[in-house]
Amino acid sequence: MSTTAALPMDRFATSTGRVVIAAIVFVVCLIMLKLVTTTGMQDLLGYTQKTQARVPTFLVRMVFLLAAIAAAFFFVTGLSYYKRNKVAVAPWLFLSVGLVLFMIYVIVPIFQSISYSFTRWDGLYDFNGVWTGEWVGFHNYKVLFQDPNFYTSLWNNLLWLVLFMLAVPIGLFIALFLNQTVTGIRIYKSLFFFPFVISQVVVGLIFTWAYNPEFGLLSEVWSWFFCETKTNIVGNLTRVCSPEPPSILGDSTYATYGIIAAGLWPQIAYCMILYLTGLNNISSDQIEAGRLDGAKGWKMLRHVILPQLKPATFIAIVVTVIGALRSFDMIATMTQGGPFGSTNVLAYYMYDQAVGEGVGRYGYGSAIATILFLIMLVYISYFLWRMYQDEVEAR
Amino acid sequence: MKLSITHSIASIVAATFMSTAAVASDLVITFDDLNPDKKAAYEAAVEAFKAANPDINVIANNGDREAHKGTIRNALQNDAPDVITWYPGNRMGPFVDAGLFTDISDLWASDPNLADKFNAIKPTMSRDGKQCGVPYSYYQWGVYYRKDIYDKLSLSEPATWDELLGNCDKLKEAGVTPFTIGTKFLWTAAGVFDYLNLRTNGYDVHNDLTAGKIKYTDDRIRATFANWEEMLDRCTFVSTHATMSWQDAIAPFANGDAAMYVMGNFSVGQYKDAGLTDEQIDFFQFPEITPGLPRAEEAPADAFFIPAKAKNVENAKKFLAFVATPEVQGEWNKTIGQLPPNADAEINADDKFIVEGMATLSTAAGLAQFYDRDAPAAMAKEGMQGFQKFMLDPSTLDEVLENLDKVQAEVYK
Repeated sequence: MSTTAALPMDRFATSTGRVVIAAIVFVVCLIMLKLVTTTGMQDLLGYTQKTQARVPTFLVRMVFLLAAIAAAFFFVTGLSYYKRNKVAVAPWLFLSVGLVLFMIYVIVPIFQSISYSFTRWDGLYDFNGVWTGEWVGFHNYKVLFQDPNFYTSLWNNLLWLVLFMLAVPIGLFIALFLNQTVTGIRIYKSLFFFPFVISQVVVGLIFTWAYNPEFGLLSEVWSWFFCETKTNIVGNLTRVCSPEPPSILGDSTYATYGIIAAGLWPQIAYCMILYLTGLNNISSDQIEAGRLDGAKGWKMLRHVILPQLKPATFIAIVVTVIGALRSFDMIATMTQGGPFGSTNVLAYYMYDQAVGEGVGRYGYGSAIATILFLIMLVYISYFLWRMYQDEVEAR
Repeated sequence: MKLSITHSIASIVAATFMSTAAVASDLVITFDDLNPDKKAAYEAAVEAFKAANPDINVIANNGDREAHKGTIRNALQNDAPDVITWYPGNRMGPFVDAGLFTDISDLWASDPNLADKFNAIKPTMSRDGKQCGVPYSYYQWGVYYRKDIYDKLSLSEPATWDELLGNCDKLKEAGVTPFTIGTKFLWTAAGVFDYLNLRTNGYDVHNDLTAGKIKYTDDRIRATFANWEEMLDRCTFVSTHATMSWQDAIAPFANGDAAMYVMGNFSVGQYKDAGLTDEQIDFFQFPEITPGLPRAEEAPADAFFIPAKAKNVENAKKFLAFVATPEVQGEWNKTIGQLPPNADAEINADDKFIVEGMATLSTAAGLAQFYDRDAPAAMAKEGMQGFQKFMLDPSTLDEVLENLDKVQAEVYK
């Protein structure tokens, strides 16, 4: 009787030795971490005077950080409280590392960035590490709402969102077209999928060259119809066109559309692959039943196929919206926001004002970021709500 | 990153074995130009410094120029090297004001070269009467033109605005676009603006504008833009300039489709790479617009600075003094085809552009750095976008100038 009662008690008792050692190790690691980041410790380890201290101290810091995390785990798992509530606590324990990183790198910066948006700051800390900015209240927002570049960027964001949606229907139709069994269909599918595999930067460069009015693909085709080759004053061959080939990325009227077209190329491939996998899962019974009832062509697509593709459509729309908001890379590679800022979107304008080329209006950039964040919040809330609804239904 | 890891490991190993040579100290230099000739000149100077100072362990880094503009902030605030490159004028302002560059006025006072031979450029290197850097090179701006085309049409180098416009008319009659330019990265347009403003209003007004004391809607600045509009009208620029970098814009120039280029002297090497010879290209100073105005020029300088967080300040000062010597300045600038700021340094007398550049700058009434170095970065970015917009569509002038006034009121505080 006494042994059986003692055993479970024992299982849930605090493992004192382990907890104490873990606690000591944890504290020591924190002290070491603190020391390593100061010069004194670097001298102790003999690095600074001889070399650049950057890499060794970084490694040393990593070791101590990992040791501290491990010690913390041993500490918590040694407590009797943990042993009694394992099922409830364990998931949080595993989540904790991710949560801490998420706090440090996502949540805290969001609030920092919002707080910077109320300051005028050029991004510098002075020699003593003192922040050099000043508090200006809502001034940045006042300036922002009178800034024509801001409205250009906002309008371009909207254009991106609307026109990028074209990727969904186009992707669907290519998927329907490719969803057949012909010899070599795998090759065709791969070819259609190819643009999604190459990097956005490469896509941007390819289109920049294709659009180039001097030597691009477009001007080459143009020259078949409108250009003739002449000899110029120094005897070199030169091309004279009338009308001149369009300078798509150099003309503020067309530049944004040019970049969106480039962005659509890989996005269509992405939507296509989503629909292709969706089409694989379509039940053939329903199609046959539909056929018996006389449905074909458009009606078949509208009433039998599309409803079954609903999950694929949802994902396609979500990734397309995300793609449209991530237009940054395309703009950075193709126009850097030019000509004269006419292809900026909010994300690029923010980068441009804060970080890019040392412009250094960090406060102003943060204000743009905050507005962008608020706009995104609407979409993200809808998305989360939708996900939540789905889960509730699934239950 | 990889480099710095191997570097550190190598140095740790070296340090362990040579623990007897404990007196050896470091000098970490960060340079920002990977172009072959610039890189070669820098490396040659570092080698010479090593030979002269065997007890200093020099760690010489080099990186991309555009990337450097972003990374320097981090470098100055965290892991600072001992010597770093940056631009003088207003561009160094934020770092000097935040106390991130070491004040080296004492070196300027005591070093024989810096004390006497750098008078022309000293104001540019100073802020609030203190000097913070040592320039290693500068260069002239002006108009580079196709001499063979000029000769064919029997044109001569224009000395006045009307002569320039007249030349343009004749060039257009002959089917040649007068000017090439590539404004994709904006700053080239600022070169044209600077010259038009320096010639229309003079150095002081230009300086006041970039210092934020004059509005862009001021009548004097409007006069500059009126001249620019005339230039756009009569001296056409290549039509696709907004999609071209300055290097791309050399193509029509080299092919003979365009005859002139408002540029800095660093471009000469590229003309020659494009197949042009010394006989085909030449240089003239941007012509006079307002008669009798003292002639000011653009002469951007590149300089070395000591970050306030540098660990080996004495070595860094030694290096800066070394860079200031006439021998190093001469060698360096011969290699890269630019001008030495040290008045005693030898120049390459075989290079007609260098000779002409020296003559241009040594007789100038004032030296401007360049719009994007004279004006704060935030103003410069907006200004240059405005210039590009105006060049593409001169009818937007009022809109552009009013927006610039707004930004100016915001940036200068």
